[in-house]
Amino acid sequence: MRLILLDSPDEVRGNFYPLALSRPLWGLRCGFTSLGEKLIVRVGASDVAYFVPDYMADAYRAKARRPVNDSSVLEGDDLLIVDPRVKADSFDVAANGPSEVGLDEKGSVLYARVAKADLAKLPTDDIGKFIAAAKAKLPNVRSALPTWQYIWDLVLANAEQITADFAAAGRNGIEGTVEQPTAIRGSKKDVYIAPGVTVHPMVVIDADSGPVYIDEDAEIHPFSRIEGPCYIGKRSVLLGAKCRKGNSIGPFCRIGGEVEESIMQGYSNKYHGGFLGHAYVGEWVNLGALTANSDLKNDYSTVSVMLDGRRPIDTGSAKVGSLIGDHAKTSIGTLLNTGSYVGAMALIMATGKPLPKFIPSFAWFVEGIVTKGFGKGKLYETAKMAMERRNCQWSEVEQAMWNAVFEMTAPMRNEAIKRGRRAMLAR
Amino acid sequence: MATIEERVKAVTARILKLDPGQIKAEHSFTVDLGAESVQSIELVAMFEEEFGIEMDEDAALSVETVDKAVEFIAEVCRQQGVDVN
Repeated sequence: MRLILLDSPDEVRGNFYPLALSRPLWGLRCGFTSLGEKLIVRVGASDVAYFVPDYMADAYRAKARRPVNDSSVLEGDDLLIVDPRVKADSFDVAANGPSEVGLDEKGSVLYARVAKADLAKLPTDDIGKFIAAAKAKLPNVRSALPTWQYIWDLVLANAEQITADFAAAGRNGIEGTVEQPTAIRGSKKDVYIAPGVTVHPMVVIDADSGPVYIDEDAEIHPFSRIEGPCYIGKRSVLLGAKCRKGNSIGPFCRIGGEVEESIMQGYSNKYHGGFLGHAYVGEWVNLGALTANSDLKNDYSTVSVMLDGRRPIDTGSAKVGSLIGDHAKTSIGTLLNTGSYVGAMALIMATGKPLPKFIPSFAWFVEGIVTKGFGKGKLYETAKMAMERRNCQWSEVEQAMWNAVFEMTAPMRNEAIKRGRRAMLAR
Repeated sequence: MATIEERVKAVTARILKLDPGQIKAEHSFTVDLGAESVQSIELVAMFEEEFGIEMDEDAALSVETVDKAVEFIAEVCRQQGVDVN
């Protein structure tokens, strides 16, 4: 059996922007791991292939080490094709069995199990045609599998997911170095400190309200406080951080200040003081000192987010912080409003006032307005430099993907630039 | 009708808060007129508005002096079919 993760159409992927601009939906993180890793484990698949939007195929292929947008995977074996929005913990479809296409209430395909014997009935040269034909020719069933709907769903579910992932990992105890005095509150069964971790003196690990998992080679500096549920990724460093409950910190992050119920994808820095709450931060982000986000409105009403710069979407939650795309950078003292969207590659020079709730991708936010700034070439130079500092390479295929993202996001950015020009002229 | 140079000087004076008469063709935006990086961004934006053109940011921001800006803008206007005469 071969598991195929098939990314959603653009109109659905937009619900997961700005994080999904540069990765397939299964690359998003919740708890310890990505949605894709959870689905692979759940299904128990060893043979896995991917179909992603064309514009990111080359860049993703360079990272994936598995077939990407390769139609030949549609032949030769039983297939289980899954929409990555399906929540892995609830995925109860048997990997093997007769052909069956599971549809949600809107008729969208959540999964397609295709027996090898039925492959001859379907066109195997194009994944879109393949799925359409599978839906038309194979038995359909109504599926009530729960799905992720919006990017903030992952943030809101993160604490619970960490607890579930900790239980599933089945590890506890101290395999790294814990220098004394360090205080561990709660049950030591709810703490795992992996090999290579160094916990400096004067650190508090509080597992009283949930488990704490510190992954390999992480380093926890003095005066950090880590409240569970919490996951600290490989080689990440906490610098006297107040790490409140519900955080998933991906690999190679540097975290200071106060962080609560947030997801950091990885390779990002929030080195200094400032509050980050109920936020999702992409890769290669740098949050300048005293960058702070609101995650709760003064009137405690539910938070709205603008994913397209125009239409506010009520999240239904009173707590939603910022959604920050890959390679975004904020200056010192940046104030992010409740439910802010900061596009990928956006560069923010703070004004001292809370920012608009929607900053488009590749925008240079300067003097209170969105501008073209120094252009995307300069942003690429900075991205390249940031990656090289972590021994990662900025590649041509990656740049091609970002060029496509630049074009895709141009309408929203150009509209914001026009508004900025009007404001500039009125000064 | 004002020349390109007069219009460039007028925009520059407004953004950098200078008297247009103080601005000479050979002046460097940064060294002589004191433009900071943020103001350079504003200058490019306002030149685009003034002339109704779109400029490549990298190329525009590499222009150092007023007379080079005039040449650059004249060329962009020509390429984009904008009548400035």
